[in-house]
Amino acid sequence: MRVELTEMIWFEEHVVTLSELGELTGLPEATLAELVSCGAIEPIETAGGEPVGEPRFGASALVAARHARRLREDFELDTQALPLVLGLLDRIDALEQQLRSLRARSPGRRSLP
Amino acid sequence: MKYKDYYAILGLERGATEDAIKKAYRRLARKYHPDVSKEANAEEKFKEVAEAYQTLKDADKRKAYDALGSHAAGQEFEPPPDWQQQWAPRGGQQSGARSGGQRAGGQSPGGQGGESAFSSDGFEGLDLSDLFERLRGGAGGGSGRGGARVSMPGQDYEIAVPITIADAYGGTEIDLDLNMPEYDAQGQVRRVPHAFKARIPRGATDGQRLRVPGKGGKGFNGGRNGDLYLNISLRPHALYRATGHDLYLDLPLAPWEAVLGTSVEVPTPGGAVRLKIPAGTQAGQHLRLPARGLPRPKGEPGDLYAVVLIVVPSVLDEAQRALYRQLQETSTFEPRAHFSEEGSYAS
Repeated sequence: MRVELTEMIWFEEHVVTLSELGELTGLPEATLAELVSCGAIEPIETAGGEPVGEPRFGASALVAARHARRLREDFELDTQALPLVLGLLDRIDALEQQLRSLRARSPGRRSLP
Repeated sequence: MKYKDYYAILGLERGATEDAIKKAYRRLARKYHPDVSKEANAEEKFKEVAEAYQTLKDADKRKAYDALGSHAAGQEFEPPPDWQQQWAPRGGQQSGARSGGQRAGGQSPGGQGGESAFSSDGFEGLDLSDLFERLRGGAGGGSGRGGARVSMPGQDYEIAVPITIADAYGGTEIDLDLNMPEYDAQGQVRRVPHAFKARIPRGATDGQRLRVPGKGGKGFNGGRNGDLYLNISLRPHALYRATGHDLYLDLPLAPWEAVLGTSVEVPTPGGAVRLKIPAGTQAGQHLRLPARGLPRPKGEPGDLYAVVLIVVPSVLDEAQRALYRQLQETSTFEPRAHFSEEGSYAS
């Protein structure tokens, strides 16, 4: 077996422009722009609140855009339905995270001595 | 080449209408699409369904598929020569000498040879889906339409990577064994086994994702290579429960330990540490051990919380029972004092 040490990038380390996001996900820029304008994909907030130059996108945008690309292709979703589905997926994700965290906090069901 | 029964995959009869094919696909996509499904093998199932649909929804491809005849699913078969005559894309040059050895680069003298695009060993290592991929006109399909080749980015791949808490703590190496379609210099697709080791750095945790640039499918004709996406999940651990980079550990205490206070040894991923239990510790309390959780890729590690459980012995000897009785008689402790004030509405 070939042993390669490959470079890996945490999603959190991604800071990309809209066109780079399009390149990464295969979504047309126009579709991405539409998803951004309706809030389904959000740029990283700049520290001062004031946008400095071109908007940048991070991990959550990358996840959403990848979902969008697949859902659009596999379910033939239009730009009306896409933000709706992305929003719901996002909520499910947040709820699952909450559930995981609650489960971790509450004592296990392991039988005690 | 292994036969796949696309109709059976979609749960259809061979004569199904176009409409029925679409409906079946939609129903199964709802059930198995990895973005919306909770089925265990959703990813795999959806791939099958999508592949079947890709072929059957296209009238030409469906005809070509039907012309392969009916075989048992998984049966080894080869398309008969007359099928190749009729359906196989023509024009990909097969003549021995590979000029230059460079990638196709759009200068393929396609269309000159009348030969089938499949060489004599053409079906070995070929997936049925690749066969129909080749029937796709134009883009990357080796259909030999002169210079009509389009550059195509390689496919992205997404894999679930379950790791242990120990792996997350120390980082780990995983073996990846992928079978990816690759286009050769003639623009023909082939499954190329691609095995390599990938290093998961320290600091991974449940739900985190990694992108491995360029390790997905090979791009065609100058298109960029696809990426590999790794979705990390943590396997359950006998002692620790993880949320983000914080860990939770059940800490059972005897009643007298909780009342009087003590010092106990607790395990942490970085080695056991002594933890002071203050007198009067209550069940359910979280005792925090800062930075004893999982490391983060950057910044401070997560914390470890010991969740206090008060456990009582199930077997007591006479002397112990007498001591508890004595405690019962002398104690004025009222654990349910608040019950009397609230909760009953009868007059």
